[in-house]
Amino acid sequence: MANLAIPTAEKQKISFWYRYNVGHFLLYFTLTAGAIVAAVPFIYMLLGSLLTRGEMMNRKLFPRNPIQGLHNYVEAWQEANFNEYFVNSIQITTITIIGMLIVCVLAAYAFSRIKFPGRDAIFAIFLATMMIPETILLIPNFLIVNQLDKWSKPALPWLNNWPSLTIPFMASVFAIFLMRQFFAQIPNELWDAARIDGAGHIRFMVQVVLPLSKAVIFTVTIFQFIGSWNALVWPLVVTSKPDWRPIAVGLYSFISEAGPELHLMLAGAVITTAPVLLLYFFTQKQFTEGIATSGLKG
Amino acid sequence: MAQQSAEYVKHGRLSGARKRAIREAITGYLFITPATLLLTVFGLFPLLFAVYISLHRWRIRKGAFIGLKNYTKALGDPKDLLWFAIGALLFAAAWFVWKSMTKERRTWAMAVKFLAAVALIAGAWGMITGLGKMIESGDRQMFESFMITIFYAVGIVPMQLGLALVLAVMLYQKIKGKDVYRMIYFMPYVTITVASAGVFRAIFSRRPESIANQIAGLLGIAPQKWLQESTGIWNLILRHFNPDIHLGFILAGPSLALLSIMLYNLWVFVGYNAVIFLAGLGAIPSDLYEAAEIDGANRWHIFRHITLPLLSPTIYFLTVITVMGVFKAINHLLVMREPAAQGTVDTASLYIFDQFYMSTRFGYAAAIAMVLFVIILSLTYVQTRIAKRRVFYG
Repeated sequence: MANLAIPTAEKQKISFWYRYNVGHFLLYFTLTAGAIVAAVPFIYMLLGSLLTRGEMMNRKLFPRNPIQGLHNYVEAWQEANFNEYFVNSIQITTITIIGMLIVCVLAAYAFSRIKFPGRDAIFAIFLATMMIPETILLIPNFLIVNQLDKWSKPALPWLNNWPSLTIPFMASVFAIFLMRQFFAQIPNELWDAARIDGAGHIRFMVQVVLPLSKAVIFTVTIFQFIGSWNALVWPLVVTSKPDWRPIAVGLYSFISEAGPELHLMLAGAVITTAPVLLLYFFTQKQFTEGIATSGLKG
Repeated sequence: MAQQSAEYVKHGRLSGARKRAIREAITGYLFITPATLLLTVFGLFPLLFAVYISLHRWRIRKGAFIGLKNYTKALGDPKDLLWFAIGALLFAAAWFVWKSMTKERRTWAMAVKFLAAVALIAGAWGMITGLGKMIESGDRQMFESFMITIFYAVGIVPMQLGLALVLAVMLYQKIKGKDVYRMIYFMPYVTITVASAGVFRAIFSRRPESIANQIAGLLGIAPQKWLQESTGIWNLILRHFNPDIHLGFILAGPSLALLSIMLYNLWVFVGYNAVIFLAGLGAIPSDLYEAAEIDGANRWHIFRHITLPLLSPTIYFLTVITVMGVFKAINHLLVMREPAAQGTVDTASLYIFDQFYMSTRFGYAAAIAMVLFVIILSLTYVQTRIAKRRVFYG
């Protein structure tokens, strides 16, 4: 028995070792190949943005003088008027995020920690609105914003101004959903203790719940940031002049105009993407984790 | 009334608790007021308003009430629509009879089964001829945009989810540099859509030195027009062998331009889907794997009978997200669309946007949007039905 057992174990060990090695090689090989495919467009964007016009014409892939190529960025920045678009996007994003946090924290808190008749039914209706595609809401919402613009014209116009670009996005059902999940997990003992100390809902929310929920608030903020920075169709519809147009619209019109000036277009793409990519690099971990949990529970 | 208030006075504490509950409820309503207001104005009311718009002649300014004219313009003769609907109902009914009969073993079941099969064929025939006539008398471009959307969704879901699952399983192994891989794979998802679509427009350029053509060259394929190619992919491949081949719209498949856009879509979302799959894999309890290993299951068995069933909620979620994404995607299409593609990349959303924004046909665009909404709703219904049977929630 013992005699037989040893060789089989030996044999298994060798074949396992063999398979292990090849398997691992294949694993790393495929993963690296995939990573290269994922990264090539970025590399192409960076390299291409540093080419001179002549090099682009001559089908070069690598810039001979990258420092000189930085001039493309200056040129693209000026030609596409990115100064204005950048400021617009920062303003729009900031207003949207602040408004969204106020509106959605309040709603998420109420849905998770306050009892009132019809709570679950109202929340179900909230969730149902997520299923309505934006394409269908686009036309009526444009007309609604037009009407709001007429009503509040001299004081606070909606069109070509920040209200139309920010206010409709402040009630994010997705943010409410995520934060509700999180707030509900905060132990009830904390609420009991706070109530004994004489705190009401607002104080409990501000002093206990919010400090405990930094992670989810961060996730929600990042999602909103990307959403606002990315928005193209809605801003295109509700603005008719560059005064309040965000960066995506700026880049869109630059791409349609700068067709043959490929190196400038690529420089513009780098400029607009950089803020989001930088944010991503610095907050990578919270970022992917936030998205992973949202996917699991959604 | 008097009796009631007397009781309140007698049980002072009870009335206090009641008062507190009322105050609690008022706080709750106040807290959700801003969100409810915004969602009503910009999320729910627009749905009704869109129906109202679609019943009018409406070009920038509201015109006359025209009833269902916008719908008949889009969908064609109502008679054909009725044909199509009856055919669909017959088909569905016969399908259910057929399904329930397969369990039946008695002889008369054979007869019913035969009748069901006949009804099935009749229903399918009614559906197809109805649809054919609808396309003839309705808005051909709209039907094509629906078809393009279907090509896009059907093509992208298996490719995207399959690749993402493979990636996730590989990243789930004990490997070095996992975080670096994950970071790189996820980067496309974070990038600004207009920027990355612009880069891909350059990659899929028809110029012989474009990256797509250089890769094609390495594989021994002649330079292609990519985003400017309106020919269907099967036509393109088969004409390589026989230049006279000309397949119809559906058989020809998506145009090379649409395929290029699908590849872009794949590049953007595979990493995102893999991250969500990774989270799903992490949620599977490891004792299940250990138990299976003790029972002598091999890797494939473990994957097939433990990993896949326990991942089915994630797969379902990602399928829904992806299909919905195809239905609402506009941004990258606006950037990557070339006039030379001759509308072969115009999905339903883009067609609606064109009708609304470029042609300012508000009423007509709203009508198509409602048709799209009905299609999406029925699709969601079918998806949840399938999910009920197939998705396994631990």
